[in-house]
Amino acid sequence: MSNHDSHSAEHHHDVIAEIKKVTIILSVLTIVELVLGFWMIDITSEGLRLAIKGAIVILMMAKAFYIVAYFMHLKHEIKNLIMTIVVPLALFIWFIAAFLADGNSFRNLRNNYDPHFKEQSTIKVPEKHHAGGESHKATEKHEAGSTEKHEEKAAH
Amino acid sequence: MSHEATLHGHDSHGHDDHGHHEHHDTFLTKYVFSQDHKMIAKQFLITGMVWAVLGGLMSVLFRLQLGYPDASFPWLESILGKWAKGGQITPEAYYALVTTHGTVLVFFVLTAGLSGTFANFLIPLQVGARDMASPFMNMLSYWFFLAASVVMLSSMFVETGPFSGGWTAYPPLSALGDASPGSKTGMDLWIIAMALFVVSSLLGGLNYIATILNMRTKGMSMTRLPLTIWALFFTAVLGVLSFPVLLSGLILLIFDRNFGTSFYLSDIFVNGVGALSNEGGSAILYQHLFWFLGHPEVYIILLPAMGMVSEIMSINSRKPIFGYMAMLGSLFAIAALAFLVWAHHMFVTGLNPFLGSIFVLLTLLIAVPSAIKVFNWLTTLWRGNIRFTPAMLFAIGFVSLFISGGLTGIWLGNAALDIHLHDTYFVIAHFHIVMGVASMFGMFAGVYHWFPKMYGRYLNNSLGYIHFWVTMAGAYLIFWPMHYEGLAGMPRRYFDFSIWESFKQFAELNRFISTVSMIVFAVQILFLINFFYSIFKGRKVTTTNPWEANTLEWTTPINPGHGNWPGEIPEVHRWAYDYGKDGKDFIPQDVPVGADESSH
Amino acid sequence: MSNVTTASSEAKWWNGGKSPFDVEYGKVMMWYFLMSDAFTFGAFLISYGTVRFSTNGWPDPNKVFKSFPFAPEGVNAPLVFVSIMTFILIVSSVTMVLAVHAGKMMDKKGVVRNMIWTIIGGIAFLSCQAWEWNHLHHEGAWWGLNPFNNADGTASSTNFTNFFFTITGFHGFHVFSGVVINIIMLIMTLMDKFEQRGHYLMIEKAGLYWHFVDLVWVFVFTCFYLL
Repeated sequence: MSNHDSHSAEHHHDVIAEIKKVTIILSVLTIVELVLGFWMIDITSEGLRLAIKGAIVILMMAKAFYIVAYFMHLKHEIKNLIMTIVVPLALFIWFIAAFLADGNSFRNLRNNYDPHFKEQSTIKVPEKHHAGGESHKATEKHEAGSTEKHEEKAAH
Repeated sequence: MSHEATLHGHDSHGHDDHGHHEHHDTFLTKYVFSQDHKMIAKQFLITGMVWAVLGGLMSVLFRLQLGYPDASFPWLESILGKWAKGGQITPEAYYALVTTHGTVLVFFVLTAGLSGTFANFLIPLQVGARDMASPFMNMLSYWFFLAASVVMLSSMFVETGPFSGGWTAYPPLSALGDASPGSKTGMDLWIIAMALFVVSSLLGGLNYIATILNMRTKGMSMTRLPLTIWALFFTAVLGVLSFPVLLSGLILLIFDRNFGTSFYLSDIFVNGVGALSNEGGSAILYQHLFWFLGHPEVYIILLPAMGMVSEIMSINSRKPIFGYMAMLGSLFAIAALAFLVWAHHMFVTGLNPFLGSIFVLLTLLIAVPSAIKVFNWLTTLWRGNIRFTPAMLFAIGFVSLFISGGLTGIWLGNAALDIHLHDTYFVIAHFHIVMGVASMFGMFAGVYHWFPKMYGRYLNNSLGYIHFWVTMAGAYLIFWPMHYEGLAGMPRRYFDFSIWESFKQFAELNRFISTVSMIVFAVQILFLINFFYSIFKGRKVTTTNPWEANTLEWTTPINPGHGNWPGEIPEVHRWAYDYGKDGKDFIPQDVPVGADESSH
Repeated sequence: MSNVTTASSEAKWWNGGKSPFDVEYGKVMMWYFLMSDAFTFGAFLISYGTVRFSTNGWPDPNKVFKSFPFAPEGVNAPLVFVSIMTFILIVSSVTMVLAVHAGKMMDKKGVVRNMIWTIIGGIAFLSCQAWEWNHLHHEGAWWGLNPFNNADGTASSTNFTNFFFTITGFHGFHVFSGVVINIIMLIMTLMDKFEQRGHYLMIEKAGLYWHFVDLVWVFVFTCFYLL
């Protein structure tokens, strides 16, 4: 719908006005996100933290909407194109839900049946911060030694 | 400036050019760096066939081990060298063969070889386009596939052998370089080959989607598209949306292998080394990522075969396809459900049982569109004037296999039953019948049907009949007994069953399966002979429309050049299934609708 | 699908002979490529979420990302640096929109000016990222190395840094390739390629890619620095 009169100055101003509007909206959303983030630093209540995180995720989705709809111009495309883009993205809902649910269930399983895992998450360790920083968890452990790891296989 | 006008002007110009410019092709531009979709299709087909022979040969070799675990075949040592010391395949070689057989058949033959061939060949011809949307990207797609093939092939010649941890490449076997001989260089090459393959499938898939949506000729509305094109469209969408997830999974795997991360590793104790410091990862995460591709992949393999079978059945029954819209809806339903059911491959990983039950429900839902398709195929056949060409036989064989294999899918999709059947020969039987052999049948049907269009000659019918009947009987003789073995608990991927008391009873049966598999393999060689003989010496096609079909590819000359139609692209006035309408045997799509014609 | 629609104007879109979306095939491909890429990034971020969900403790981003270039050692400025990075990317996205719009108006000068700003924004973002990576590396963080403890003081697995470097690295790679594409577009504009073609559609497609990079950053930023 925007193509026929793209030369007209009126249309030009409309577009520029829209870009300005979206820029402001995105900036405001980002600032609100940051304010929430700063606020969250000193909050210890788990429930409130979760609520703030939920709010941040909603703001994130709003930002994504404005970028896709206006910057990527999707809102001004015809409906056919919008639908073929948006409908497949709905797959993400189950993609995210199932993965996170199984991650959560895996943690519960380990907390219940893996004493080592449970114990590790209760032992406090000293800060390693800035302490020269080179004595960390080793990297090349699993390259070490040639191992005969054939247990997994049922060979003989 | 009228944006719109430039758009369409741009489109049509770019593609009319192909028709009019007859530049002289050298051997290199015509056969090697070709941008003609028909030549690229043939390149995919031939490469796929090379892989099919190699992959089939591998299965014969490991069937030899399973059927004759105690025998020694000195000739094996001369082929395989140190992998078959004393004429007996070593366990390492056995696992390498099984793994490579799976990877090659699933990705290189039934994905690239099947949809690469027929999407390239049929999409522009059947939608009425001069070529793909981007012929250059199409060429790149083949070259990335070839590069992937070369890398995969080279992994078979490295010192430590190809990857040997199963085609699914689960960590830790794939993540720890010392886990098995194949986990070293072989695995690196496997990852590189798969990454190249993902690129190839992306380039191809984008092209197929853009071509089907944008390049249809006048009058070719979406509901007039032949079902083949719809199937290839959904296949491309599945590939474009699911392969990137595998790519992500593989990138994380590369980091685990080479950069000391532990995305997939946790709590691992290695004999002689002790506990590894890798903490906090989850091998199940890899399985989720892999199967998020892996399940759609099954339909990437199956849907093109379904589409081609629908069309071949309609043509050779001289009847319209039964329930076109239902076929379309079920294709869509299958494609959508394909993304929602991946964890039914993971019921025994410790998956949350509640989550598992949702996956069971979604999985069993697939039976509905599948059954719709089966009934529609059967009703298409019902009271038709069936012509039993080899293509038609393979199409009917496809339906038979799809039913037999699909039914066991309902067993396996059920978490309670799957816990007993998981990783047994029952699973092998299920997926080989429903996806492996069935898609292979779809591919054979396609080759027999479109060979005249590809090469301007016919395949030999008698050899075709032998090929069909032996393959059909062989498929059931090989895989049917495996159901019983699986029910009895015989696990897959074992090197030698003769040392277990409970599986000794199957020694005879295993030998039988192995023997049949060799016979079936020999018949495929017969097909290859038929194929290559017919390219050069086959009976020549004398009419443009040898099967009396309605679709647009049969309106081109017998040997169409680059650009497909010498003149204007025909306009489309009807759907592709006007068979036996108003007393006419068939009415091609480009025939205008008559004034007194009944509407369908 | 189309047969259900009764409006004749809508049915015509699908009748063949033209694009049902009123865009040329390149843009369809670009959109679908971006969807594909969205699944790549989606898979990464969802993996990150899954591992976080299956772990008891996790480091507090505010204690990790609290430094600022040229600030004295030990400065406590959480979120400040990353918010600057975020604004750089948003601004470069805005200049890209302006470049695309200028292209539609066949305004070569506008395209050139805005493309230059976009490229500068991209390079600035990459420089910021390079500084941050370098800083973290000096603190002892890298793939397989995690000097930070969990928020509750317990030992953290290396997956915090593993995912951080992998995902921001993959995003940085996209920014880098976006900058390269934009430079190519700028050169083509300066050579009057698009004036000769009569349209700036290539700029639009490069723009789509660039906005996608910005879009991904919205998610990466939220997942790593805020949540």
